[in-house]
Amino acid sequence: MAERKTERLMNLIFALLVSRQYLTKDQIRESIADYRDSTPQAFDRKFERDKEELRELGINVEMGQNDKYFNDEPGYRIRRDEAELPDLELTREEAAVIGLATQVWEHAGLASDSTTALVKLKAIGVDVDTSVLRMAEPRLSTDEPSFDAMWDAVTRRIPVAFVYARPGQEPMERHLQPWGIVSWHDRWYVGGFDLDRGESRIFRLSRVVGEVETEGDAGSYEIPEGTDMKTIARTLFPPAPQEAAVLRIRAGRGQGLRRLAETVTPVGDGIDEVQIRYSSRWELASEVASYGPDVVVVSPADVRQAVIQRLTAAVTGTLESS
Amino acid sequence: MSRSRQQVVRMLALVPYLQGNDGVPVNEVAAEFGVTPKVIRDDLRLLMYTGTGEYAGELIDFDLTALEQDGVVHIRDAEFMTRPLRISTREGVALIVALRTLRASASGLELTVIDSALAKLESAVGDTVSAPVDVLLDEVDPAIHGTIVEALTGGKRLEMTYATASRDEQSDRDVDPRRLFTEQGKLYLEAWCLKAEDLRFFRLDRIVSARVLAIDAEEHDATPRDLSDGFFTVGDETPYALVDLHPRAHWLTEYYQVDLIEQGDDGVWRAKLYGADWEWLRRLVLRNAGSITVLQPDTLRSQVIDDARVALLAYDEVVAPPKES
Repeated sequence: MAERKTERLMNLIFALLVSRQYLTKDQIRESIADYRDSTPQAFDRKFERDKEELRELGINVEMGQNDKYFNDEPGYRIRRDEAELPDLELTREEAAVIGLATQVWEHAGLASDSTTALVKLKAIGVDVDTSVLRMAEPRLSTDEPSFDAMWDAVTRRIPVAFVYARPGQEPMERHLQPWGIVSWHDRWYVGGFDLDRGESRIFRLSRVVGEVETEGDAGSYEIPEGTDMKTIARTLFPPAPQEAAVLRIRAGRGQGLRRLAETVTPVGDGIDEVQIRYSSRWELASEVASYGPDVVVVSPADVRQAVIQRLTAAVTGTLESS
Repeated sequence: MSRSRQQVVRMLALVPYLQGNDGVPVNEVAAEFGVTPKVIRDDLRLLMYTGTGEYAGELIDFDLTALEQDGVVHIRDAEFMTRPLRISTREGVALIVALRTLRASASGLELTVIDSALAKLESAVGDTVSAPVDVLLDEVDPAIHGTIVEALTGGKRLEMTYATASRDEQSDRDVDPRRLFTEQGKLYLEAWCLKAEDLRFFRLDRIVSARVLAIDAEEHDATPRDLSDGFFTVGDETPYALVDLHPRAHWLTEYYQVDLIEQGDDGVWRAKLYGADWEWLRRLVLRNAGSITVLQPDTLRSQVIDDARVALLAYDEVVAPPKES
């Protein structure tokens, strides 16, 4: 059954592609066995579905008349110059990076999509030799069950509804016009216009529970001009460090803090005085506490206090209620 | 995408590909298309029922003797389609996102090549809006990144200072670099460490300094570790602590290997928290003290208490530990 449909679609594409003229529905029916063998009603249904299928495949079927003065019946064709892949004139290195790019996806569907694109390039004679480059080999994987549905919604601009569960909170249904997907620290996030909150929001795909429901047609909203996923994703990043802090760090210790050092001054007894910039008192106090006796905060006072609080809780083994 | 739609896409690419590669073995075609040889054979069989008409010469044909006896493909009567169709939006977006991922971990001249490849690809995909998908990696020092790429490209040995996180120390070592890769959104170098005489992974943001040596890197016989499950897999020997987590620390369950045991009505979760080593676990508990407490093992619990008490001395604070129960 599926094979019969594949055969029919291929023949439809070939017929529309080779014809210089618009083919009328009757001509199309006459030239393809499966259409011919169908009742007129079944043919109509199949033909409509097949046209939709070609559209989904990204093949543009043009409708028109061969001779507008003779009130011809409208016909169909695929314009070869529009449908065929033009030469890209890729250099050896550009071809190699495209070859490497097809190895990035660890997602069956997207790996196959990018492989098909590469094969098309090879079919127009692009020589792909990835050994000319020695680049990093990043991988993109997706184990979030909602990824496929969200990817589809984002690339086709379809509004969605889904249940979102933050840890320790009641799951809630959310409604979103997705603008983009972004991967950060190997986790996928979707950003867009949150219809419940009336502003842009970002959601972590691993926190989406169950099915993603579509709530409208493809292209049913516009992504605001100049939307950049990097900007939206910035809410995920810590703000730029502003505040100054002075720490005393045992020589050779506190590696994570030393990376942020603006100055390092040995003050004797195997101790360095280190100046850093930070953005979050909470984060800095956490990092300092993790080094135990190897790092001491000299200033500011509020970070000192936060570290003392953290360490005191570690000694007493209590969970703070604050 | 449905299987029949995938097959149509593949067959449409096969027709021009096979004409440009006359006599190609079926196995090679399968490898190029990322499918099994059986899938390709099924495609070829089906292609013989397609063409521009229904008479001989109008249907696509293959040299069946060559196909069956030598496993090679000679396509005939397919001259009506010698070029593939355009790269579809779907294919284009997948490839563009992959290129952006490469870009996020590239450096120097590589960026220029990727940018020009991206520009050409985006123009070929046509009127697609720029793909609404992006990949962000943590930034690393471009000078260090550049040095490593230089060593990799030139096949040279690297001298570097590396900061180990869990043991919190720096050390100097010479390494023969093998490849750069990403894991959990971070860039890593896989290299043969001459000090450890083994393959090691080095996180780029923990490389304090690096220099290319005038010595050729050597080939070392080593099987790279299988990273398909990530760096960290829990086994029988993996250290773990029994902990209580305040709601503020519930996020830990999303980031680390955790077995949740009990979710209390007061919002406190009891869990097994796994770590690569005890040092790492100790630092994680200290970092989140007040939001996490250790119940077991006793050694970890008393280490945390001792560390914190000694640390507090520097602040002139003396805190008594709880009575042993």
